[in-house]
Amino acid sequence: MSTESSVEKPAQRVAIKGASLRLGEGEEALEGCRCPDCGDTFYPPRTVCLSCYHEGLDRVALSRCGALHTFTIARMALPGAFVKAPYVIAQVQLPEGVIIPTVLDDVDPESVQIGMELEIVIEKAMSDAEGNDVMAFKFRPLKGGAA
Amino acid sequence: MSSRVVVLGVGLHPFGRHPDKSIGEMARVAGLAALKDAGVEYKDVQAGFCAHVNQGVGAGLRTFGQLGMTGIPVTNIELACASSSRAAMLSADAIANGLYDVVMVIGVEKMERGLLSGVGGKEFGYNDAMGINLMPAIYAMWAQRHMHLHGTKHEHFAKVSEKAHRNGALNPNAQYQKAISLEDVLTSRMIADPITLYECSPTTDGASAVILASEAVARKHTNAPVFLDTWVGGTPEYHRGEAEQAEGPNAVLAQKAYEAGGLGPEDVDVCQIHDAFSPGEVFLAEELGFCPEGEGGPFIWEGNTEIGGRIPINTDGGLLSRGHPIGATGGAMITELALQLRGDAGQRQVPDAKTALLHNAGIGGVNVMVLKR
Ligand SMILES: [Zn+2]
Repeated sequence: MSTESSVEKPAQRVAIKGASLRLGEGEEALEGCRCPDCGDTFYPPRTVCLSCYHEGLDRVALSRCGALHTFTIARMALPGAFVKAPYVIAQVQLPEGVIIPTVLDDVDPESVQIGMELEIVIEKAMSDAEGNDVMAFKFRPLKGGAA
Repeated sequence: MSSRVVVLGVGLHPFGRHPDKSIGEMARVAGLAALKDAGVEYKDVQAGFCAHVNQGVGAGLRTFGQLGMTGIPVTNIELACASSSRAAMLSADAIANGLYDVVMVIGVEKMERGLLSGVGGKEFGYNDAMGINLMPAIYAMWAQRHMHLHGTKHEHFAKVSEKAHRNGALNPNAQYQKAISLEDVLTSRMIADPITLYECSPTTDGASAVILASEAVARKHTNAPVFLDTWVGGTPEYHRGEAEQAEGPNAVLAQKAYEAGGLGPEDVDVCQIHDAFSPGEVFLAEELGFCPEGEGGPFIWEGNTEIGGRIPINTDGGLLSRGHPIGATGGAMITELALQLRGDAGQRQVPDAKTALLHNAGIGGVNVMVLKR
């Protein structure tokens, strides 16, 4: 028993495995990579640029808004998933050119249309064994955006 | 001096649900059928490839070991749903370059029930939490995009499955040997819009075996060889500004195969494509050059891909009706095309088929082949 364990620590916010998120100070966003040589941008983050093979890319916050590239309405949930059917699986294209696989939140599945403007929602998905808040993301229709 | 490669023998264990059979048992049935078909003995086989995805360590020994123990090198090959066509390509590479004269591919799979989930490790992560790893959803999203860009209708996709089941009804090795109506397809349970249950390939157990041989050896066993004429494989290509992901560069590989084989899409008499989900055939009719981009829906709706149509596709029922035991599927595709080119496809026969094209896709790669007689 260390004395440290009795000290009340504020819950840390960590990204769920398989998602790259910029959390903490400032506006929260997806975190991707930008090549310092050619400027190409990637999500999820990677080490080697696929355009020019430069090694060592810069971590950058990605745009919080994008457009719906394509979608489907899943009528059955997979075992263990947090989402309840029906739900919308989507690919969102960000202005940087990357496509983000995600799900849509706060939307009537039947009203979803390719091209609709979306914004990211970052929220707690669960707690981990250390008591950290495990954060995940979805996209939802941009308030006041063109459908 | 490189040799031409002949598809000397083919064999299947009937596709379906076989919970009580081991992979060895199914592989033995397919393997013995292929040896008999080729007219060779197992001791003539100089190398083996066992194509499978989820059958664990030592599957090659558990399958080839059923046929004999002759000391030959047996190698396991995994390329998801395209495993056994890739194994055949590697065999063909070896034969063409004079390494072996007779090589055997066994493709085998026993599958778990339920909808195949896609790429992912064992660790529970974002895609699992959000329910994104749903294989039909990937095809459904391509389908939605196609509908958006080209006005394709759900009925166009559904027609693929109706046609597949009509062909499957003529195939004694198919998992489903019963025709279903377009209405049946459209009104079956919606899985991921626009894909319904009957537009998804089933979970299947089964085995395929293919014996490939050099032309010199093959000529001792047949006067009418079916050649594996051309084969190309590939992985997805990255192009800046084209963020969309595909299983592989289908159109690029088809073009390479046409050039290497000295033919064009208009020369193809019969074709096997990867219809894991019904939209696949619509996309591939375009990507393989059978119709212009965006016109795959009406092209299929008009019956061009039926037996008796301009370019019959998946005459054996395809993945949708013949079934899709993932490691065995490529070998089953080769099997059907070999039968078609020999004129041995029975009620499914495409009259006077001389040239065949095969497309088999898996997560991690795509294979395209040309077969000729
Ligand atoms: Zn670069």
